[in-house]
Amino acid sequence: MSTPLIEVKHLKKFFDTPKGTLHAVDDVTFSIEKGKTMGVVGESGCGKSTLGRTLIHLYESTDGQILFEGGDITHVNKKKLHELREKMQIIFQDPFASLNPRMTVEETIREPLELSGKFKRNALMEETERIMDMVGIDERLRHSYPHELDGGRRQRVGIGRALALNPAFVVCDEPVSALDVSIQAQVLNLLQDLQEQSGVTYMFVTHDLSVVKHISDHICVMYLGQLVETTSSRELFERPLHPYTKALLSAIPSIDIHNRKKRILLQGEIVSPIEPKPGCRFAARCPYAAEKCHQPQELRELEKGHFVSCCRVEEIN
Amino acid sequence: MTEKQNVPFLEVRDLVVHYTSEGKEIHAVNNVSLTIEKGQTLGLVGETGAGKTTIAKSILRILPEPPAHVDQGAILLEGRNLLELPAQEMQKIRGKRISMIFQDPMTALNPVMRVGEQIAEGVALHEKVSRAEAEKRAQEMLEMVGIPASRYRDYPHQFSGGMKQRVVIAMALACSPDILLADEPTTALDVTIQAQVLDIIKELQKKLNTAMIMITHDLGIVAEVCDHVAVIYAGEVVEFGNLEEIFDHPAHPYTIGLFGSLPDINSDVERLSPIAGMPPDPSNLPKGCAFSPRCPYATEECSRQKIGLDKIDGTHLCRCINRGKEE
Repeated sequence: MSTPLIEVKHLKKFFDTPKGTLHAVDDVTFSIEKGKTMGVVGESGCGKSTLGRTLIHLYESTDGQILFEGGDITHVNKKKLHELREKMQIIFQDPFASLNPRMTVEETIREPLELSGKFKRNALMEETERIMDMVGIDERLRHSYPHELDGGRRQRVGIGRALALNPAFVVCDEPVSALDVSIQAQVLNLLQDLQEQSGVTYMFVTHDLSVVKHISDHICVMYLGQLVETTSSRELFERPLHPYTKALLSAIPSIDIHNRKKRILLQGEIVSPIEPKPGCRFAARCPYAAEKCHQPQELRELEKGHFVSCCRVEEIN
Repeated sequence: MTEKQNVPFLEVRDLVVHYTSEGKEIHAVNNVSLTIEKGQTLGLVGETGAGKTTIAKSILRILPEPPAHVDQGAILLEGRNLLELPAQEMQKIRGKRISMIFQDPMTALNPVMRVGEQIAEGVALHEKVSRAEAEKRAQEMLEMVGIPASRYRDYPHQFSGGMKQRVVIAMALACSPDILLADEPTTALDVTIQAQVLDIIKELQKKLNTAMIMITHDLGIVAEVCDHVAVIYAGEVVEFGNLEEIFDHPAHPYTIGLFGSLPDINSDVERLSPIAGMPPDPSNLPKGCAFSPRCPYATEECSRQKIGLDKIDGTHLCRCINRGKEE
């Protein structure tokens, strides 16, 4: 196994709310190998976006450790953060909200290049053109504003801006969720092509399991701030072990009209992540919940590279 | 109610709807014809702007006019044209015989009205019942969608997204409608909640023998709940058929393209095969086949004239002149 590009150990991110402390990311540990894609799945409010944003220092972590290229970046000063921004980038879900409406396509892509101070005037123009070409934005659109573009092209601009400085690590936060399927496929292919060319490492955050299966090498499944299962993409879909992962996978509507799978229907509602009780947060909806599930759970490696956080996993599988 | 022979339960016949926006004519629905029988579910599949929601809203006559305008066509409920009914008559049908589940439960509910009262309101309007009876019916409906009746007096903001959508479903089903128009009813929900909600809809549909039109862009949902499928592109039905016909033998290049764009949970594909290009500008539709500019099989003939919706076999219809010549 090669050295991981990014390593996260017991990471926590809490937010103070009027109702108490919200445990958005609670004791999450995993690592991502260089040049690979880590998918992070879970339902709304599970902390997957917060996790991505904490990794790249859009949020300060509450506790735990983040290692990047072998160095500890959990706490960094302004100068170091500036350097990190070049290497760690993010693509947002809604390119309409994340692009400056008063900047043209060209200006949007050129800005990070300018800020880096690495390019002289002429080189700046050339580099901007190269990136537009790389993400498939037509030359004639260079003076267009975001509102003049359709969703797919807007997202290409967002990708171009994020990848402008050739970052080592990019968090893709639901980058295709706002797009129609035919356009979604174009953007997914683009992201894969760019990874092949540059060797960039992705963390791909999404609620769409078909998309995550398609694009990821490894997958983390989150439930209410906790990491419940992580393993290779193939293993996860072939042999899910955690009861939540099983229910999640069985809930995906399948286009296979001949082999109907049995669905695990969950009862109950998602509990609040504010001041949560100790123990497994899925227990309230879990068909296998027992007394010991209300004790703190530990992420255990059941098979090589297959980690599960469930004290009853051996009994139920 | 007398059962008439050979008259479809609901028929949309040759519907044409356009919108006027900034002086431009937007051709949203172009000669759409569909039929649906009691207890059956018809899926309307297509991408944003294909005209799916406009079709549903035309059936209920809730299109904002202007900017929308129904240019031609008929909506026949057991042979009676809804488009010609006086407004008052239509009011009696809306919410009683035909009702709609809207996509976004956050905007479909009144934020300052208790959820139970929102359900009871429709019941009181359509059924000759007392206030207390309407309230009782609303409580039963809440229980039916899995919400304790004790939450009757709660406000929408006190519910989670999935529960709000279940309130909207309870509202739509409170008067046991004959036809349910479900406009992306689960798009705003998480998958495990989506599974619960689809299950509730299916169960209630079976119990009440409701006909349903399921509008969605998710082919997985279509596969799970629909009997027939109409694939809509640029305001036209480009392909129609039952589940086997559409999923096992997709015929129109657009339908084939949709399947190729979809990452499938059951198979491993290295690369997706997206449809090239973008959906057409509905104010300036291409001549002939609207899909031809994006179609890998297009010939000159495709853009010459309107293409007919031709029968392939069984119930399978397809709007393409090059079908079968792909290989």
